[in-house]
Amino acid sequence: MQRIVVPGEKLEDKPLRIDEAFTEDGKTYSTIMSVYDEERKVLTPLEGMWYPRMGDQVVGVVAEDKLSVYFIDLNSPYKGLIFAKDCNDDLMAGDIIEASVKELDKTKTAILTRPRKLFGGKILYVNPAKIPRILGKGNTMIRQLTQLTQSSITVGLNGLVWIKGGKVDLATEAIVTIQQEAHTAGLTNRIKALLETGK
Amino acid sequence: MSGSGEKPVLIVDGKRLDGRLPGDIRPSRIEANVLKNAAGSAYIEWGNNKIMAAVYGPSEALPKHTSNPERAVIKCRYQMAPFSSLEEHGRSGPNRRSIEISKVIKEVFENAIITENFPGSEINIYVEVLQGDGGTRAAGVTAAAVAVAASGIPMTDLPYGVSIGKIGDQIVIDLNKIEDNYSDADVPIVISPRTGRILLLQMDGDMTKDEINRGIRMAADAGKMISKMQSDALKKQYMEISEKYKNEAPSYTPQAQK
Repeated sequence: MQRIVVPGEKLEDKPLRIDEAFTEDGKTYSTIMSVYDEERKVLTPLEGMWYPRMGDQVVGVVAEDKLSVYFIDLNSPYKGLIFAKDCNDDLMAGDIIEASVKELDKTKTAILTRPRKLFGGKILYVNPAKIPRILGKGNTMIRQLTQLTQSSITVGLNGLVWIKGGKVDLATEAIVTIQQEAHTAGLTNRIKALLETGK
Repeated sequence: MSGSGEKPVLIVDGKRLDGRLPGDIRPSRIEANVLKNAAGSAYIEWGNNKIMAAVYGPSEALPKHTSNPERAVIKCRYQMAPFSSLEEHGRSGPNRRSIEISKVIKEVFENAIITENFPGSEINIYVEVLQGDGGTRAAGVTAAAVAVAASGIPMTDLPYGVSIGKIGDQIVIDLNKIEDNYSDADVPIVISPRTGRILLLQMDGDMTKDEINRGIRMAADAGKMISKMQSDALKKQYMEISEKYKNEAPSYTPQAQK
């Protein structure tokens, strides 16, 4: 059974290691607004933010262009940083890039690698907690979205989604719907119907 | 406590001026996520109090010297709108009272938010009193807790506030403006319901240790209702959507990507 829990709400009467939960006095409690699956013992966040983790694929906006480094706004308390030597494109403030997090430094600044400049298109800011739902299990949802809208979509785990070409408005509508209804049943089928009727 | 002149009779036949019993709180409601630009927000109506709370962040702590490399710093601003009250503290701009209340609210959330998750960042909490009628700091904390939870910032608990006081020999909770002005004591407290810890306690007036303990027990009883109101406000928007699609074929719940 699934139930919506708020911070401080008891999940289990025994100490369990669950993401976004903590244990105290032999009991497990939630720390954020989330859906708790009592059978699988999994907490799925409803609200949340992204903090850099090694290997995460991100979409960011170039904030500052220094001589040998670029600072990237990642929609997070922590900045991203790209060394100019790792970058084939010449970047300017305002450019949109896709990259992956190589490592984190002492101040949690994300050092990014393999940057790819994204030309044109549109940026959507999404709640980072809903990104797994936009990607879907085994990337099924995002594959369905790209196939049925013919758009090129790049999803950053930090909550930025870049869309270009094809039916941009339809893709945007679908992503906004996924964000709003991420915790409901039968969402994949509804999104499929939305995309097919919107053709 | 600040009232002057002849003291009005505040309790008649065991009932207070607005018909409440000593352990009753005023009718109240909370709404979560009322502001689009904030990371989380809440609006509370608690009797005649109308308060808006908003949370921004975590974001890079600026100016830099305010940041803490081990945890997030919490900045709080409690402010009464110029039109919120008939008294002098309704004037605009920071004053002695608002600086004090901002500080105590900040300390409440330093003990509720898991600040170690965001070293070097800051979390801004704003509490704006649109209409004040006694007990605004308690109602402000109650609303701010909902706003913080709605923003997705991890917390160990949802604290709530309520004031306790003494009118003659009677211990009462949730004092309104007239009771606040003419009571023998007014003690706003904030409780963490999961552990029962007290995160804020300020006393204006005199109460004995026994009276304080009795008041805290009354507040904790009323707190169950306030906690439920907070959690209902947070769950409401999700429940409404879930209800709409409850009969559809179940699908998977995604795990957070690692």
